[in-house]
Amino acid sequence: MAKRNDIKKVVLLGSGPINIGQACEFDYSGTQACKALMKEGLEVILINSNPATIMTDSELATRVYVEPLKVPYVEKILEKEKPDALIPTLGGQTALNLALELDSQGILERLNVELLGAKSHVIEAAEDRAKFSEVLDRVGAHYPKSVMAKSFKQGIDAADDLGFPIILRPNYTLGGGGGGVAYSMEEYKVKLATALHESPSSEVLVEESILGWKEYELEVMRDKDGTFVVICSIENIDPCGVHTGDSITVAPQQTLSDREYQAMRDEAQKIVNEVGVETGGANIQFAVNPANGDRVVIEMNPRVSRSSALASKATGFPIAKIAALLSIGYTLDELQNDITKTTLSCYEPALDYVVTKVPKFAFEKFHGAKDQLTTQMKSVGEVMGIGRTFKESFMKCFLSLEVDQTLFDDVAFDEKKVSYPNSQRMYYLFAALNKGYSVEQVSKMTMINPWYIEQFKDVVDMKNALKPNCLQDKITLRKAKRFGLSDAVIAEQIGLSVEAVRKARWQLDVRPKYYQVDTCAAEFASNTPYLYSTYWSDPDAPTFNEDTVVMLGSGPNRIGQGIEFDYSCVRSVFELQNQGYKVAMVNSNPETVSTDYDTSNILFFESIHQEPVIEILKQINPKGFIAQLGGQTPINIAPHLLAAGFEMLGSTQKTMDLAEDRGQFIAVCKEFGFKIPKSLMAANYSQAIDGIEGFGYPVICRPSYVLGGRRMEIVENEEELKSYFTRHANYISESSPCLIDQFLERALEVDVDLVRSQKWSLVGGVLEHIEAAGVHSGDSMGVIPPQRLKKDVCEKLESLSLALADRLGIIGFLNLQLAIKDDEIYMIEANPRSSRSVPFICKATGIPLVSLGVQAILGKELTDEQLAKYKWNNGQKTAVKGVVFPFKKFLESDPILGPEMKSTGESMGRGDDYSEALLKALVSSRFTLPKEGEVFMSLRDKDKDELLESAKTFIDLGYTLSATGGTADYLIDNNLDCTKVKKVHEGRPNCVDRMRSGQVAIVVNTTSGKQSIEASFGIRRSCTEYSIPCLTESDAVKAFMLALKKHKTGHFDVYPLERSL
Amino acid sequence: MKTGFLVLESGEAFEGVLHGDAETVGEVVFNTSNTGYEEIATDPSYHNQMIVMTAAMMGNYGESNEFWESEKIWIKGFICLEIQNTERDASWLNKLINDGCPVLSEVDTRKLTLTLRDQGTVYGCIVKSDTESEAKSKAQDFFANKKPSAGDWTKEASCSTPYTLEGKDKLGLKVALLDFGCKKNILRELQTRCREIKVFPSDTKAAVIKSYEPDAIFLSNGPGDPSFVREGTATVKELVGYKYIYGICMGHQILAQALGGKTFKLKFGHRGANHPIKDYISDKVYMSSQNHGYAVDEKSMPSDTEITHLNLNDNVVSGLKSEKFNCASVQFHPESHPGPHDAVNLFDYFIEQAQKC
Repeated sequence: MAKRNDIKKVVLLGSGPINIGQACEFDYSGTQACKALMKEGLEVILINSNPATIMTDSELATRVYVEPLKVPYVEKILEKEKPDALIPTLGGQTALNLALELDSQGILERLNVELLGAKSHVIEAAEDRAKFSEVLDRVGAHYPKSVMAKSFKQGIDAADDLGFPIILRPNYTLGGGGGGVAYSMEEYKVKLATALHESPSSEVLVEESILGWKEYELEVMRDKDGTFVVICSIENIDPCGVHTGDSITVAPQQTLSDREYQAMRDEAQKIVNEVGVETGGANIQFAVNPANGDRVVIEMNPRVSRSSALASKATGFPIAKIAALLSIGYTLDELQNDITKTTLSCYEPALDYVVTKVPKFAFEKFHGAKDQLTTQMKSVGEVMGIGRTFKESFMKCFLSLEVDQTLFDDVAFDEKKVSYPNSQRMYYLFAALNKGYSVEQVSKMTMINPWYIEQFKDVVDMKNALKPNCLQDKITLRKAKRFGLSDAVIAEQIGLSVEAVRKARWQLDVRPKYYQVDTCAAEFASNTPYLYSTYWSDPDAPTFNEDTVVMLGSGPNRIGQGIEFDYSCVRSVFELQNQGYKVAMVNSNPETVSTDYDTSNILFFESIHQEPVIEILKQINPKGFIAQLGGQTPINIAPHLLAAGFEMLGSTQKTMDLAEDRGQFIAVCKEFGFKIPKSLMAANYSQAIDGIEGFGYPVICRPSYVLGGRRMEIVENEEELKSYFTRHANYISESSPCLIDQFLERALEVDVDLVRSQKWSLVGGVLEHIEAAGVHSGDSMGVIPPQRLKKDVCEKLESLSLALADRLGIIGFLNLQLAIKDDEIYMIEANPRSSRSVPFICKATGIPLVSLGVQAILGKELTDEQLAKYKWNNGQKTAVKGVVFPFKKFLESDPILGPEMKSTGESMGRGDDYSEALLKALVSSRFTLPKEGEVFMSLRDKDKDELLESAKTFIDLGYTLSATGGTADYLIDNNLDCTKVKKVHEGRPNCVDRMRSGQVAIVVNTTSGKQSIEASFGIRRSCTEYSIPCLTESDAVKAFMLALKKHKTGHFDVYPLERSL
Repeated sequence: MKTGFLVLESGEAFEGVLHGDAETVGEVVFNTSNTGYEEIATDPSYHNQMIVMTAAMMGNYGESNEFWESEKIWIKGFICLEIQNTERDASWLNKLINDGCPVLSEVDTRKLTLTLRDQGTVYGCIVKSDTESEAKSKAQDFFANKKPSAGDWTKEASCSTPYTLEGKDKLGLKVALLDFGCKKNILRELQTRCREIKVFPSDTKAAVIKSYEPDAIFLSNGPGDPSFVREGTATVKELVGYKYIYGICMGHQILAQALGGKTFKLKFGHRGANHPIKDYISDKVYMSSQNHGYAVDEKSMPSDTEITHLNLNDNVVSGLKSEKFNCASVQFHPESHPGPHDAVNLFDYFIEQAQKC
């Protein structure tokens, strides 16, 4: 019983950079675990390569290692730290796989480190398909039948057994190539032949299809005494066929009877025991045939997962925290229920509300990628809505997604978009109901359970029935709100303004009530203020809270706005509390630390949308709200909140406007001697042509009002300009002209993050980009301290930046993106808020920049002496920011880097010198660094001289070279050994064949101009498919070279993070 | 759609949408199960009670007689937030209305539950009314004249004449079951493990049961205040020591009384599918299905009785046994329906213990 006292020091593995399928939910779980274990008095050693996480803040653990999650690095840390145990179950698949490797290489045994939570045989029993099938057989659970067909005949025989439809999965092809679904014998024969051909081993797994079955997930926990509880049941609205991460899901499950549910629960318990999960959390996915109730097991994860983060937020049960405590020997009946504080943790949460999760997609970022949802996850983030009823919770999600669309928009109706799963399906489904399709029809088309379709139809009918007089009718207006219709939707329907609707609502006292998430459906008293709004109860009278600050979060993760902003929010909450304030946090992202109930003093799980935020402000009347930590989202809604009469802390709206309005901003910059790239606005092609004469090509084009570089392209000549205007005609008009900027070719870019109060200011750091201008700042690697920026230029840009902050009147944070060309400093962009680079800078410099920014906002005075210790260029380690891309999920999309951001996450490499830091950043970003082999080069003319030196170095390091046409000639002319290979259009075998056959280790492919980019796409796509490092920018090549050199020496060390200053 | 109210005897009124024409009075209790609305409504232990479902969405999976725990709907009213109201066949809402059970939906059930939790279980009535004041005055009449009187409710929930069920285990035991309002699933679980079960009305005399010559005796669940179940208690008192006895819920309380113990009324009872039980016999903690408003007072039990199970939420006695008299019982529902099956092996325990005697 009770805590083991033989464990004094544990290593916790994080999950590394954010990518699709493994996101900030593991920061949430790791942070919870760190806090819990530290509180137990254990020494906690944390390893994670992701600097944007809360968990890697130096004070969260005894020691934090921001190092690659790879065997050699972790081995070295284990040797240094000599821990008693390692917890592999809180860092996603990355940590689990890493633990298995450490175990199988005998490292854990050699160093006498015990695996806690899941032993390797347990991990294998759950993860190895064959072993897991044996487990299922032993407990009598069913799973989709499958046969490995090694010949056409075997395949045909198997079909009789399986029945149609059949799923074909050729073995050893990447991304499911050559596979598919066959609905008839005829179709099956054709697909089987193709699949056998496509598989290098001529093996095809043919599997019984469960497409259209209802899909469920149970989040469960078990302690060492065998006490088993289901924390949450989750039902996918999208039936089987769509990855659960891409499905809209609901908790608790809604459409299973008690008998069906309990049978599923029994099976989950048997599986968990049979797999041998000793302690901790696990999830098990099931599919249920709606026709006859047949049930199969899809998979199991013996660890904390994305859905356990969701389950924790949905129920209030802190799965990761409890899992950590169970792993060191506690049992569920020894741990308190953290929310009620009056009962124990051995219970199954009872919900008196409904939770919906809706994924957020980014298909628009990946040109060419098909918007199709399959069994491979593609969403980049998610939102959660809590409502008293399904409708209320579901509709909240669509308010949180931050898209311009509503579910009632008049979309160009397309039945296919209802029938086939895609990211826009819900909009088309609502349109279908609006057009009069029946519940039965829609249910047939989508295979979505009719219960859900009925719910949607209720909402559509409610909306359509609204008349202007509803503003005088309390009952109707309240019902509309109960059905989740936003003021904006009501306003649109009745042809009045949002303000008019809000005013009428308030007059009739139709305001939300804030109810508690209490884990027990009100059965026991609970004082934890984890709240959600509902119109299903009478509102409380407003309260007044002068000591409370409302912190607006950043909403769902997306490309361009992710975990970095949650980091800023959470650090701010801590600092505000330090300064004696209470903090009310508002956010809708269930993956985050900010939405943990014990992060803030009050948690409102609500959309970062003006309507719910205004309601919260009206309810609690705080001192004010802070909008500059949650990225662009809160900045965008701030004007609405100000207009409603609430106070914004920090920079004023006037300051924000000054920084964000291009015209005003340029004028200010010029006062300070910042250069500004020449620019113009053009409503059409001819205006553009005329304007560009003033400064010449290349130029950067983008439509007005874009975020994260959407539709931003570098245009090299007139022909491309014409093409740009043709392709983006829908987004360019008189009212929304195209912005055309002079492109500073080969300029060095830097991010500057600073904070300013009325009385003091401080540069937090200057992050030098490794790639030259033209690559989005979020996609370029970066380094602190700068390696190429001249000292005097750096000093000048620092003082200019501080002066600019003064002029703008910044109170709080300012991020500047600058370009340096020929020692001249150009202003690219200013963001009057905390930025994506802030967490990296905090970790790289040790400066608690977020805390200082909050102190600035609160008007705290700091003396010069106090400020003097915060020197960002203070001789700490060199830190390189690495970048992670999701291209493997979007094979049809070009992985070339450009002005539109595509990365999902970042890593940090720390070293004694630049090369060591680079090496680690690349390793952490999942680059492979081949120590030998062939380097294929295809260079644009501009880069040839520039990269000649690199080509020579490749040869000196023992690599061979191959190249196509002009590049090969150029290298040979310069006396380098080089194999000349065919371009794709020159016939076969060509360069792509060479890559696909495994002869190429590294690819250097620099190109520009739309045409050349399209022509060389095949090269880059093969790199993505075959995991060949692909460098598309000359400065990146040089950096990669440095890392390779370092890698070949085999020397590296590991360093714990220094304590924050 | 009609406006209706739930008026509590303590004075509060909760507005909702009333379905059906019936107006009723009953004890208002809440249940926190997410599923199993049919099992709950047809469980005879809910006799004279109105059920408040804390889970928000009701009727989602329709209705089917196979889920029924008895032949009729016992509850006096079904109170919830939303109930599926469509033309789909097999609607749970229609079933309730047709059986004369009023349904009050769109009620702020969380507020209602908080009220019941804070001030304890009270009587309430569901009335049709447009205004709260009218509802309250209507309710006064119900409270004055139509409230079920205190007494032995098990007689109303029990079978009126004995009947015999064939079991599936031909070599198994012959069990006499004293029916205080037995759930069907108790009978099903016994049938799979016994040779024969004879079900007796709750006021059956001990001699009648003895004349059946059973191998063991089972005491079922049932409604109401156990202290009024005098005949049942007297019968069990006489049977104690005769053969092995096992009780569930009301059966547990009756056994405790028969052994000399006392019961008391819980403030708001235990009704749900997520209550943790510490089982000292197996030394395990598991989830249980619960439905009881009364409990056994630990201090009242004779010293030779052992407390074998505790509810870990509030340490209420949840199981006991007496080695001396060869009997045992649990307060919760190993037969589940609804709820988790974690404790179903208590039926095996019953058989094992009975066979030992």
